[in-house]
Amino acid sequence: MATDVKLPELGEGVTEGELVKWLVQPGDSVKADQPIAEVMTDKATVEVPTPVAGIVKELKFKPGQVVKVDSIMITLDSAGATAKPAASKPTPSATTAASASGGGAATPIKLPELGEGVTEGELVKWLVKPGDVVKADQPVAEVMTDKATVEVPTPLAGTVKELKFKSGDVVKVDSVMLILEGGAGATPKAAAPSPATQPAAATKSAAVTTSIPAAAHLNFGAAQASNGSPIYPPVADSKVLATPATRRLAREMGVDINGMSGTGLAGRVTREDVLGAKGGGSMGAGATRAGAAMPAQVPGVTIPRPAYQGGPGVEERIPLIGIRRKIAENLQRSKQIIPHFTLMDEANVTELVAFRESLKDYAEKNGTKITYLPIVMKALIATIREFPMFNASIDDAASEIVYKKYFNIGFAADTPQGLVVPVIKNADQKTIVELSKEILDLSKRARDGKLKLDEMKGAGITITNIGSVGGTYATPVINHPEVAILGMYKIDEKPVIKNGQLAAIKVMNYTVTCDHRLIDGAVAARFMKSFLERIQNPGRLMMDMV
Amino acid sequence: MQNFDVVVIGSGPGGYVAAIRAAQLGFKTAVVEREFIGGVCLNVGCIPSKAMITATHLLHKAQHNFKDMGLNIKGGIDVDMKQLVKWKQSVCDKMSGGVNQLLKGNTVTVLRGDAEFKSSKEITVKSSSGTEAVQAKYFIVATGSRPIEIPGFKFDEKDIVSSTGALAWDEIPKRVVTIGGGYIGLEISSYLRKLGCEVTVVEAQSSLLAGVVDPDCAQIVTRKLDRSGVKLMYGAKAKGQKKVKDGYEVTVEVNGKEENLKADKILVTVGRRPNGDQANLKAAGIAVDERGFVKVDAQRRTYVPNIFAIGDIAGQPMLAHKASYEGILVAEVIKGYNRVYDAKTVPAVVFTDPEIAAAGMTEAEAKAKGFTDLKVAKFPFGANGRAVSMMETEGFVKMIADAKTNVLLGVHIVGPEASNLISEAVLAIEMGARLEDLALSIHPHPTLGETMMEAAEATLGHAIHIIQKPLTSAGKNAHA
Repeated sequence: MATDVKLPELGEGVTEGELVKWLVQPGDSVKADQPIAEVMTDKATVEVPTPVAGIVKELKFKPGQVVKVDSIMITLDSAGATAKPAASKPTPSATTAASASGGGAATPIKLPELGEGVTEGELVKWLVKPGDVVKADQPVAEVMTDKATVEVPTPLAGTVKELKFKSGDVVKVDSVMLILEGGAGATPKAAAPSPATQPAAATKSAAVTTSIPAAAHLNFGAAQASNGSPIYPPVADSKVLATPATRRLAREMGVDINGMSGTGLAGRVTREDVLGAKGGGSMGAGATRAGAAMPAQVPGVTIPRPAYQGGPGVEERIPLIGIRRKIAENLQRSKQIIPHFTLMDEANVTELVAFRESLKDYAEKNGTKITYLPIVMKALIATIREFPMFNASIDDAASEIVYKKYFNIGFAADTPQGLVVPVIKNADQKTIVELSKEILDLSKRARDGKLKLDEMKGAGITITNIGSVGGTYATPVINHPEVAILGMYKIDEKPVIKNGQLAAIKVMNYTVTCDHRLIDGAVAARFMKSFLERIQNPGRLMMDMV
Repeated sequence: MQNFDVVVIGSGPGGYVAAIRAAQLGFKTAVVEREFIGGVCLNVGCIPSKAMITATHLLHKAQHNFKDMGLNIKGGIDVDMKQLVKWKQSVCDKMSGGVNQLLKGNTVTVLRGDAEFKSSKEITVKSSSGTEAVQAKYFIVATGSRPIEIPGFKFDEKDIVSSTGALAWDEIPKRVVTIGGGYIGLEISSYLRKLGCEVTVVEAQSSLLAGVVDPDCAQIVTRKLDRSGVKLMYGAKAKGQKKVKDGYEVTVEVNGKEENLKADKILVTVGRRPNGDQANLKAAGIAVDERGFVKVDAQRRTYVPNIFAIGDIAGQPMLAHKASYEGILVAEVIKGYNRVYDAKTVPAVVFTDPEIAAAGMTEAEAKAKGFTDLKVAKFPFGANGRAVSMMETEGFVKMIADAKTNVLLGVHIVGPEASNLISEAVLAIEMGARLEDLALSIHPHPTLGETMMEAAEATLGHAIHIIQKPLTSAGKNAHA
């Protein structure tokens, strides 16, 4: 039986080490705790022991290679060695969801899964109040997730007995939102909730497990040494000030509270700090800090509260909740994590304007109207094929660059509720007419607040068309975890000297704002040049057709 | 062959708690027990010793306090040791029976017999009725610890005894030599003394409870033991014993000189060792360190991913409440929840007279942790109305806080009901409370609990019921 021995944790914050040399060779018999390799971290060179005995079968790395924590270093053959069992991979048995509450008494209604990877939502408002009689599938609350506000229905009928949260509260998936009483007005459905009538609840026990996939996976990996286990987040140091409940919340959310500077009294890490840090996304990258409650919060910095300006009625205070708070959090996170820079240039769009004019009739016949956006989208796709780092992300937790093989293009939409970014999936596979129709549809539904969560996720790069409102240039904020955003601005006429003659041309400004961690200035300049070539010569776009 | 999701080996305060939580989480669960349901704690440890301590405490009060209170008992108090032991046993039986009920009510299967690992997936349970193979997806090793035996003092559990044998004595021995002045030895020695027994404590170190509790707390207890007539020998090593006509002669070496002590019974309480050598852990691939502890990680998982260890066998401190915490932790880890052992403090309680209880750091530990600037103060029970009315005024509450933030780091109590008072300190430390949080919480009067509030005030420099110097300059002038 073969056992994989993984590189254990080497110290706080150490995610990898360089293999200096092997201390064993294939065929060697090793004892438990025997050092097998020397690994150098940025702090020290350490000897890495094997937690189990066996015969070395295979060395997975060569000296000089960088080995990530938790990657397999060697394979041991445990046959013939002291009866150490192979590291089997027990899976947490997916037994028994909690038994459904019986009878017609009080039934807790939990927040169902709201979408892939969504673990919580903010309660925007209740649509019912205690005493109301509700039908099965009737919306009971508006909950705001990552980007969208969704209506949450009750899976059961009954009479509302108790509401467990207030507007503005963050509600975790699977937590009890309200209590229904099955009695008066309840349909037979409510009397004995069965899995069939409780689809939301049924999916939930799975959701609990999947909400912590990374840690669970690690935990059930190969045999772990007592001091080399990849438990994440690391155990809170006894110096960390946080209540037991907050420590558990941090653990469940994958937030490392060690070294976090809490916003509470005496540096206490509060529940809000943890929620805010999770909003930061990347685990333990140092960029994960406070902020859910106060999006403007900077780690370790106390922000003075705005001074009170005098008499009554001079100021009005309203809670920062809903879409506005999500916008604040997302943009703050982006600015905290990403070193932005913006490159600006001007395109001669005389031909582009003519090109679009020429399409007008055709578009009308096809029941749509063509704006510049779908054409720009096509030019952008062709350009990012050439520069794939513009359609990439940085996975901070894994220290990896993720190149996307799909072309999902987001576009910023101004709505009465605030900024929303619908996404056109696989835009490379759609014609300009199809793109136009989809843009119009998504924009309308964005304004009406009817977008599905899924329609606002998964963009590889985003276009902002702020020029349709006004402005010569802007420096947009990247939609993290994307690494670039293209800005397009209004079209103007401008005189130029061409062949010694004064001529009028049409110009349009473009900006590309980049994540400087991934994209260098010169690359951005080349990207812009290539993009403008396409914009200035719409015919060139034909060459890019796939 | 029986099959389970989770099999817990050992039904002590770690094991039975783990089994119940596992069953609550929906696992098909069994617990294996070779002796008593409830383990050492309920049967030959915490619970029976507390029964004896309670009874002898009342006896002691009757003998020493009643007269002052005007309560005269005609003809003195007669101790019926056989009835006392019977009552003590009834307490144990009640607790053990209760655990049995809880296991049953949670549909945990109880397997009686000795467990032995065959592989990481299978054990056998051997009992007088035969040997049965049991398989499980997960095992929780909660096999506990046992008293350490020292050379020359083989336990017969009648005359030469561990705590187990001493708790079973149904006659009051005349002379007892206790080897080892740790908490178990002192608890038993204290109550034996109250029963009228002549007790000598042989301690190898230069003080009692050294390194176990705050030295100031140990000093109060030492003084009281001394005054009560317990003979305390320090720097003393027990070399051996021999049976003589009227009992035993225990040879003790002090400062290089040998001395013989007369005894009817010898109690050896030099510590407990984990049962890492039992249950054939090796067959499952479980690593055990040189002291006998199973090696585990912060989730109490062993080297073998489907096997966990909790309680005494999983490392210090060997305390029931730590085991229970770990039991719940492990059951939830098996369920797939992300949990680790991250309690900030495990409270420790010594049921001497008066009791000692501690949570958090001592001053030395706080300094070692990097808290250079500390605030430390004590509030004495003598200044507490309830303690005075109970005629139990020995001792104090001592608090240690970070001087920069006033965050509470440690609380050390010696005094009446210290064991019950310490829980407030545990909560305060877990919550990251500051001294002000304790001082500004209204504590009911008249209670012993007020000492917690007052100790916090004292540590802030301004307790009401003791005079703290130096006074502020304004205060000084007022008194000048």
